[in-house]
Amino acid sequence: MDGRVTISGLEKVYGQGAERTKAIEDLNFEVDGGEFVSVVGPSGCGKSTLLYLIAGFLDATEGTISVDGDPINGPGTDRGVVFQDYALFPWRTVYENVTYGLEEDGVPKDERQNIAQKYIDMVDLDGFEDKYPKELSGGMKQRVGIARTLAYEPKILLMDEPFGALDQPLRESLQDQLLDIWSDLGKTALFITHDVEEAVYLSERVLIMTRHPGTKKTVAEIDLDRSGSREEIVTSDDFAHFKNDVWKSLHEETQTEVTL
Amino acid sequence: MDVTADASRGLDLSRLVEFGKSVYSLVILLVLWEVVGQLGLIHYYFLPPLSDILIRFAELTLSGEMLFNAYLTLQRALIGLAIASVLGVIVGVLSARNDIVDWFFDPIIKIGYPVPIISLIPVFMLWFGIGDISKIIMVAVGTFWPVAVNARESTRQVETNLIWSAQMMGTSDRRLLWRVVMPAALPGILTGFQIAMPLSLIITFVFEMVAGGGGLGALEIQGVRSFESAQVYAAIIAIMLIGIGLDRILRFVRGRLLHWT
Amino acid sequence: MLPTPVQGVVNTIVDWIPLGIVVLVWELVSGGIVATDVLPAPATVGAEIVGLFVSGEVFSHLFISLFRVGVGLGLSILVGVLLGVGMARSDPVENFFDIFLSMTYPIPKTALVPLAILWLGVGTKTAILIVFLACLLPIVLNANNAAENVDQNLVWAAQMMGTDERSILYKIVFPATIPEIMTGVRQAVPIAFIALVSAELIASNAGMGYLILTSGQIGNYPTMFANIVIISAVAFVAVRAFEEARGRLLVWT
Repeated sequence: MDGRVTISGLEKVYGQGAERTKAIEDLNFEVDGGEFVSVVGPSGCGKSTLLYLIAGFLDATEGTISVDGDPINGPGTDRGVVFQDYALFPWRTVYENVTYGLEEDGVPKDERQNIAQKYIDMVDLDGFEDKYPKELSGGMKQRVGIARTLAYEPKILLMDEPFGALDQPLRESLQDQLLDIWSDLGKTALFITHDVEEAVYLSERVLIMTRHPGTKKTVAEIDLDRSGSREEIVTSDDFAHFKNDVWKSLHEETQTEVTL
Repeated sequence: MDVTADASRGLDLSRLVEFGKSVYSLVILLVLWEVVGQLGLIHYYFLPPLSDILIRFAELTLSGEMLFNAYLTLQRALIGLAIASVLGVIVGVLSARNDIVDWFFDPIIKIGYPVPIISLIPVFMLWFGIGDISKIIMVAVGTFWPVAVNARESTRQVETNLIWSAQMMGTSDRRLLWRVVMPAALPGILTGFQIAMPLSLIITFVFEMVAGGGGLGALEIQGVRSFESAQVYAAIIAIMLIGIGLDRILRFVRGRLLHWT
Repeated sequence: MLPTPVQGVVNTIVDWIPLGIVVLVWELVSGGIVATDVLPAPATVGAEIVGLFVSGEVFSHLFISLFRVGVGLGLSILVGVLLGVGMARSDPVENFFDIFLSMTYPIPKTALVPLAILWLGVGTKTAILIVFLACLLPIVLNANNAAENVDQNLVWAAQMMGTDERSILYKIVFPATIPEIMTGVRQAVPIAFIALVSAELIASNAGMGYLILTSGQIGNYPTMFANIVIISAVAFVAVRAFEEARGRLLVWT
């Protein structure tokens, strides 16, 4: 399946001279096409930097990132980012935000309409097409952010703690919505979070990163039976087991932070 | 009796009271002004009765003198402001987006912005004379700075995430300026215009007072010189109306363009 | 790569090259394309500035201008803060003054110079009045806005710890509004100089504005340019000095 991300020998250094800091060091990792992978790590481990490197917003100091074998060169429409602070265009309505990528691609107007409506319906925002971002709640804004990114059909979804600013019930409902969309559309998903439960619930694999400079500490395979309801899944023994694994691994990293 | 009608009448009454509270002081002042003037408590030269001033205002307006002078003033202020707006936005936005342009303009803006631009009026009289062109250039030079500085600041503060969003959706670097940077910086650019607008009037009035050549500033100072104080007050009423009018227009435009904020 | 201090010096020099270019072009244009009368060379103007200070000629005018701008600005701060905070904390005060503020807000204050001449004649009083009026609004608006938006939790916290109603005003409201009052004053300082020079160009027999206008009228252009540079430098220093003072005063922000 398309949408494979290969990261090899990745290094990212910020600043020069005395202010030089290494955010990411010698990172090798691969996400398969159609796979859902979460990235967790202590704060300052460079997980957002990793996401922006894959998006092409930042340039790597060393190493390469490839999509389906082709090294990336700057931002591209094969990858779509969902930002934590939504980053919607405030001067555009919900509808106009969702059609932005289609406009840039030169899609004709009536076709834009159909595609936009499909994704607006998918995130349950029908009826809000003509609202401006300022008129929406945080959860609704993030649903626009997701619809906007899905609309121009990137192969890879890059999500930077997209539900970090939302309260628990809302997070859970958006997580389920995201999972439905992901299994319907079959996209590759890379999901940054600091919430272990969120990572385990959503992903097939969890990449745990080391503390500063960030690199791969370990990868946890989450082999969960996801056929049941959320309640059945999160109360299962398997879920607790995987959660403990990830938590322990992450805790070792945060422990070193405290003793330092 | 209709209950809803009663309720709305009650609401109107309380609104009326609120309105009365907010204007009573002005009414008292205006009445006092008229009474003091009529009784001759303050010399006519200092403070003519309000009615005399309004009559003078009406005379000047009906004879076309006031309108013509207002036209002269507005033409000078607005043409100058328009030139400054175009140049200021170009320089401000470019210097926020381009390091070389910024390298060149940053020290010039740092030095030029704090100059009390009014002090250059004698220089402009020397260079360009006392006619319309000189006044227009002076207004353009004076209002350029706030427009440029606000355009630069607001362009700099455009969120990186918005630019990244557009890039990931396929916006090229060339189109980025129109698609994202300008709309995102628009509130700050309009603030620059709102600061520059009164400044354009200030420069025009002072230039007209110093150098003549018609306009409301000249009308005022001519009133002082010929001891026609009612004319001075009448001209100030016209200036107030123009100031309020332009302010309202800019607010309206801002509200229209920025209904999304 | 160069050591950091050297790098700093190099950066500073590079930063100011454009200004050097402007001065150089000015020097070359003057006496070349443009007559020295119309645009005296920077060197000539520089020498004139030194001359004005050495002969002491400029001091009397400079002091008059500084006195006018200082008194006008000082009065506007005093009245502006009282009015702004008063309007925020008391409805009758707000009802009384609000209409005047919203009516005078759109009038460019320099248009009131002729009126000031009618009342106060030509000279210092007129200049002070215009500076005062021009600076009043930004200070009132900022003080009013700040006093209206004082964090209610601060007031409750003070009350809980036993501060009585009267002391709240100067123990909580005033300190909490100081940063925004400073913002208002910061906006007012350049306005004060514009108002000052306007008044002095139109209605004065002394001061920097008067000196600039008359030296232009008698064809003494180096003096005219020199005085413009001096008053601009004074305005620049005033803004910088105020920002420095604000930074020290507001260490807690």
